[in-house]
Amino acid sequence: MVPLASRNLLADKRRFTMSLAGVGFAVLLVLIVVSLYRGWSNVGRFYEQMPGQLWLSQPATSDPFHSTSFLPLADRPRVARVAGVRSVDPVYARHIAFTHRGTSLDVFAMALGVPAGRYAVPRGTIDIDRVLAAEAGVGVGDELRVLGRSLRVFRTHSGGNSIFQTAFVNSADARSMFGIDSLTNFFLISLQRGADAAAVARRLSAAMPGVEVHTSQQFAQSFANRVNAGFLAVVDVLVGIGLVVGGAVIALTTYTATVERRREYGVLKAVGASRGFLFGVVLRQSLIVGALGTALGIAATAAATRIIERRVPEFITVLTIRDATAVFGLALATSVIASYVPVRRIERIDPAEAFRP
Amino acid sequence: MSDVLLTANGLTKVFGHGRAAVRAVDAVDLGVACGEVVLIMGPSGSGKTTLLSMMGGLLRPSSGCVQLDGIELTTLGPRALTRLRRRSIGFVFQTFNLLESLNARENVEIALNIAGSRGAEARERATRLLTEAGLGGRLDFRVGELSGGERQRVAIARALANEPLLLLADEPTANLDSEHGLEVMALLRERARGDGRSAIVVSHDDRVRPFADRVLNLVDGRLADERSATLRADVAPEQSSDVADREQADDLVAVEHEGAFERTLGHLGHSV
Repeated sequence: MVPLASRNLLADKRRFTMSLAGVGFAVLLVLIVVSLYRGWSNVGRFYEQMPGQLWLSQPATSDPFHSTSFLPLADRPRVARVAGVRSVDPVYARHIAFTHRGTSLDVFAMALGVPAGRYAVPRGTIDIDRVLAAEAGVGVGDELRVLGRSLRVFRTHSGGNSIFQTAFVNSADARSMFGIDSLTNFFLISLQRGADAAAVARRLSAAMPGVEVHTSQQFAQSFANRVNAGFLAVVDVLVGIGLVVGGAVIALTTYTATVERRREYGVLKAVGASRGFLFGVVLRQSLIVGALGTALGIAATAAATRIIERRVPEFITVLTIRDATAVFGLALATSVIASYVPVRRIERIDPAEAFRP
Repeated sequence: MSDVLLTANGLTKVFGHGRAAVRAVDAVDLGVACGEVVLIMGPSGSGKTTLLSMMGGLLRPSSGCVQLDGIELTTLGPRALTRLRRRSIGFVFQTFNLLESLNARENVEIALNIAGSRGAEARERATRLLTEAGLGGRLDFRVGELSGGERQRVAIARALANEPLLLLADEPTANLDSEHGLEVMALLRERARGDGRSAIVVSHDDRVRPFADRVLNLVDGRLADERSATLRADVAPEQSSDVADREQADDLVAVEHEGAFERTLGHLGHSV
């Protein structure tokens, strides 16, 4: 089969290149927004990385970042006695706003009463997010003054973004800084090996009336839902704009490539080309621009997310194969829609025009 | 197939309405026998192209009928007409009408693709047709890289791709110089008559006259000599008029030499 569609497009290489760039840019816009959205949604997954499976809180708590809770620290032994519970650690958490060298900073501070591991922080120190460290202009060993206490930066970690950053402090320091000596905000519970989380949750609810039991996944999902509620409408609008821009570029390219070859389509009609044959040519033109432009856009997004990750770590972008595939599918669907007008134009061409000199 | 390939009866085309109506073709009766090359001559605006368009199923007549190989064209719907053009009619245009983005071979191959022939089969047939047209060395040349004569030969190869019963050529020499015009007409005549198909050529170029079995004159949409227009079923093309011209054309027709299409330009110039 003669590749008429690609030959028509390649007849004007500059315009073809510009069309691909236009579609690619629209796809880049769409995928960057979606990647940022994914990055935001995934921030809440830090709950799942903590050393426990179940959380106890006051009723009507969404997740530690979006709501607060107070529980008597004295309840800890009662929780520990519930069958299936291996360990119970108090978790202190609250937003802290402070100023460092004239810069206003805001951090979600947490303290876990664990003796060792990733979340164990020595007294008088703080483990801060790299984004916060960059904003504050501090590094390991530097001092930060928080809630009237001087804390030395003990370690930095990643996972935060421009709006949400975590800091971990010692649990004794947290009690004193937050002024809640006899209280904790949450209990984080580790289960015994082989224990059924749902069964333990039921036993905890029975043993601790007036206390809510959450899984780490529920907290992560709750966090993601909050992000979705706040950002999804914006993402939808931007994705819609991107698709319209990309579709317009595809439509314009296909339309121009069709209109300027109006006579040739007339000749093809005269020599017996069926509607299906002609529409196939137009559709292939549209799909070629859509598919190649989208592939270009996906490649550009992959490169852009890497650059963003390196240069602007506070913008967490997560490009998933699923999103790229979905955008590719949408672009192909847009290509089909974009070929409608050129196809209608071809339908109106009179094959007798071929005889006009 | 009957001896008469195409008949037109009372073929009329009126453009516009009322006082603005223009009768472009007026009650034309015409018969074309199998293997016959008919030349329709006439000045610009005489209705030649309109007549050709109606005979090719591209334009619906206002009245009258056209039969091609026993099929009445005026009763066919658009799809059936498209199928008929694809299978039975080859078109050669004044301005060649090749697809600019394709090379010579692809321009012929696409006509085969349209008819459903694909891949190596279509490629080989396109190559053979172009080689027979003397363009074996120009297969991969883009349209813009071909001379006018070469372009028209590609167009003839494209018109012949699906082995049509009828070739319709509209001013095939109009955009060619004398030498290339005669080469193209020789090729057209050879390929039309050699394979037993008919050809209708419209032109106002007198140089074309020797290549036709019959010459008809169209003036203001009417055929000037109606007796020569309607071919009786018992009259073979060889018995029709312009025998002397045809013999002259035979001298002009290219000679096959080791499979290549060649011609002696000196001889051509002398004969013309």
